[in-house]
Amino acid sequence: MTAHTAAPHLAAPGVRIRDLTVVYKTPAGELPAVRGVDLTLAPGTITGVVGESGSGKSTLALSLLNAVQPPGRIAAGSVEIDGLGDVVTLRGEDLRRARGRQVGYVFQAAQNSLNPLKTIGKQLLDLGRSHDVEDLRALVRDAKELLARMGMDGARVLDSYQHELSGGMRQRVGIMLALVLNAKVVVLDEPTTALDMITQATILRIIREVHEERALTTLVITHDVGAVAEVADSLAVMYGGRVVEHGPVTEVLGDARHPYTQGLIRAIPRLTGDLSLARALPGRPPTLGTLPAQGCVFRERCDRRMEVCETDEPMSVNRDGRTVACHATDRHLTLVKRKEFV
Amino acid sequence: MTVIVNPEGAISPEAAPAGTTRATLRRNFWRGVWRVLRRKPSRMAGVVIVVLFAVMGVAGPLLYPAQLPRDDDALYAPPSLAHPFGTDFEGTDVLALVVTGARYVLLTGLATAVITVALGTVIGLVAGFHRGRWDMLLMRLTDMNLAIPGLPLLLVLSTVWKFESPLEMGLVLGVLGWGGIARAVRSQTLSLRERGFIEAARGLGLPTRHIIGRELLPSMAPYIAMNMLIAVTGAVYAQVGLFFLGVLPFESNNWGVMLNLAVFNGGALTTPAALPYLLAPLIAILLLTLGIVLIVDAMDEIFNPRLREE
Amino acid sequence: MITGTGITKIFKQRGGVLGAREVPALRGVDFAIAKGGAVSFIGESGSGKTTLGRIIAGLETHDAGEIVIDGVPMSTLSHRARQPYFRRVQLIHQDPYSALNPTRTIHQTLEAPLRLRAKQTGRPRSWVDGRAAELLAMVGIDPGYVLPRYPHQLSGGMRQRVVIARALTMDPEVLVADEAVSMIDVSLRLGILALLKDLRERLDVGVLFITHDIATARYIGDDGELYVLYRGQVVERGATEKIIADPVHPYTQSLLSAIPVLHGLERPGAERVVPREMQREGLPDGGCLFARRCPFSTERCESEMPVLGRDGDTDQEHACFHPRRRSVIPVGVGE
Repeated sequence: MTAHTAAPHLAAPGVRIRDLTVVYKTPAGELPAVRGVDLTLAPGTITGVVGESGSGKSTLALSLLNAVQPPGRIAAGSVEIDGLGDVVTLRGEDLRRARGRQVGYVFQAAQNSLNPLKTIGKQLLDLGRSHDVEDLRALVRDAKELLARMGMDGARVLDSYQHELSGGMRQRVGIMLALVLNAKVVVLDEPTTALDMITQATILRIIREVHEERALTTLVITHDVGAVAEVADSLAVMYGGRVVEHGPVTEVLGDARHPYTQGLIRAIPRLTGDLSLARALPGRPPTLGTLPAQGCVFRERCDRRMEVCETDEPMSVNRDGRTVACHATDRHLTLVKRKEFV
Repeated sequence: MTVIVNPEGAISPEAAPAGTTRATLRRNFWRGVWRVLRRKPSRMAGVVIVVLFAVMGVAGPLLYPAQLPRDDDALYAPPSLAHPFGTDFEGTDVLALVVTGARYVLLTGLATAVITVALGTVIGLVAGFHRGRWDMLLMRLTDMNLAIPGLPLLLVLSTVWKFESPLEMGLVLGVLGWGGIARAVRSQTLSLRERGFIEAARGLGLPTRHIIGRELLPSMAPYIAMNMLIAVTGAVYAQVGLFFLGVLPFESNNWGVMLNLAVFNGGALTTPAALPYLLAPLIAILLLTLGIVLIVDAMDEIFNPRLREE
Repeated sequence: MITGTGITKIFKQRGGVLGAREVPALRGVDFAIAKGGAVSFIGESGSGKTTLGRIIAGLETHDAGEIVIDGVPMSTLSHRARQPYFRRVQLIHQDPYSALNPTRTIHQTLEAPLRLRAKQTGRPRSWVDGRAAELLAMVGIDPGYVLPRYPHQLSGGMRQRVVIARALTMDPEVLVADEAVSMIDVSLRLGILALLKDLRERLDVGVLFITHDIATARYIGDDGELYVLYRGQVVERGATEKIIADPVHPYTQSLLSAIPVLHGLERPGAERVVPREMQREGLPDGGCLFARRCPFSTERCESEMPVLGRDGDTDQEHACFHPRRRSVIPVGVGE
């Protein structure tokens, strides 16, 4: 019995992101990529964060590791992980140890972030050594078990170079490297991009299975609503640096409340049903430079735009386990608080 | 079924340059160049230096009489107000020698650079774009050019050719040195060739002439500009070196000859008297190289519209 | 108006010590694109769909087979004489970021092909500017805004529209869209798809849509034909709606099964097919190319190659010895 198979009895940690704001320095001043985000990842669940370019989802993912690079920085808020504390306050050695050992990260296009000049096995050993793993043999054994669990020949993969593996295999290697140090919180950034349909389905299945077996808390970042639907328990939709809707996957998709979520779902061509029901979302996603200073970020493209949307930013309202930030759905307008752009 | 006519809005909210005429584009280009140069003080310094030398090359000889005055009482005189770098073996002001000598050196450098870049670029472009037989032929030619031993050849040539005009020198150095650029441009062309917009141009049936001249070349502009500038420095070193070796005819105000005389006649490496005579041309060469290198830094940004605008 | 028979393409890889390796990208593919029609090529990477699209656009040569454009077989023409024919088929690249020359404004980018077109059709130079504005308006963007700008100043969606406008400068009869929306934000994709659909109707231009995303193919060409490609062969072919509703080849069923289900809005198909995974590259000699991965393969599949045809009571053509209808696609909740 190796270490990780004994792990399931350890409870999966919960993650609480509170009022997180991450800004980037630009010639026009410090602009927020993520603004006042509140997000709770319940222990043992898979949360999917969906957003397009400029939504801030990747920045949010990096914040879980406190890995936002300059010219960006975490300006406010906290990221609390059970058993670790507030990641935002960790520095130096503590932070380095937390990354990898407690929070695993699978990079976007994990397939392309492997060192092309070293075998996978060597990179695994590098990883182990840099995290002061004493029993490297056990590490390699665990890695092989993980790879076998994902349907690959462990020994062969460890002896291979990155270019000898297919895209799907490289993605699995990325997942293995994120899990092999027994992290209990795992972040996957765009795990299915650039993969074929069938391989995508396989990877999503693997993510789900590994998550359950090791009792993890998982965060999946993607632009693909379908991917999230297949793998996640709860879905958070981000737009312009804010979470506009959050709730159980089936409910958010089946009964979307925020106009952006509704528009996004409508804009996805489907296999069956009336084609004319699909409708494009007018306008385009915001960039750091085009974010409005006041009011709702989404109003330019919204079909339910009201006067209050120009001036007041909608508050996130939590009702029946669903969170929505929209004036049109929130009947209690007195709850609206004016938020000025700092 | 109606088409969505709402434009999605721009990424950069700045006002677009109005009009699409060639004149407007050109004006905006130069404005952009100025902006790029102003971004880093080092680039402006480089521009100042290069402009200084250009002026020296153009107007230098006009500042002094055709025959520089000699002063027999002040041979190898130490630096003073009248002679900031002292005098040479004939009593002629060293600074005057450097300034009047600039023209030959710069003209040669320019001529070499233009020839190597022109030849190398054309050959590299044609080889890289057409591939197949053209490529093989031109690359064999390039290999031969690269294999020619430059220095021995020049030494041999110098016995029969006097290289009086800087353009003659430039021509020879140019014809000897285009191989490297041809190779580099070819590999750039091979990779650019696969880019979407080049393929699209081919698919649309645009003539090869247009694709090479209007699509490929502008995309390689920073690369070529950089090569051109570096070729100038290379050419300067090459000819100064040759004159220093005493291989080429004597012209007292040629920087290379000055180095030669300072070291071999003036014993500049052993006695301090001729030291300023040695240092002046050296400093000139180093300054020129520095100026060029500082400008090269700006090339990438100048030719890429996105970086130019930012 | 453009048909192909037996198209074969073999890529030779320089294998170094072991000598050259031959990789067959296409193995004798037949296709037909009618005027104003919609044809989709579906497949994963390695299926040959992109290669076939490029061959049809005249950007690649093929090693065997015949292409006939407007009744004229291309093999009877010299390389130069073929160009005007292939000019009628324009490719729209996947990546709008590299499909436009970054050092030229949109005006310059459109001017060059339009000048050529003016010469070809005997129109005066003055026609060029007006036509550029017309084309940009046709693809749904404001000419005054876009023309003086450089590509980096436009969003991905706008760039793709400019690429489409450029393809239209030559008055093509077929547009080949190779993964034309996969690099564009999700909320903007439908706009481009709607545009292609609209162009089909307005200009009677045919669209060959190459993608791995079947739903987008359906959107553009629900009244058209679908070809499912696997490793250089067509394994199923027929009316798009028919194949989506009633696929019979296990590979097609695998592809459709892999489409993510929007739980809450949809239910997964009852008989989803998951192919076996292959650890090594290895194709059976002489048998069906999909046999090793197919959950339903038999001995016959390993040794005999199935031929594309209408076998059994299916409406579409397929290449399988054991075709069977399975309900694999997601079903709307409440249906």
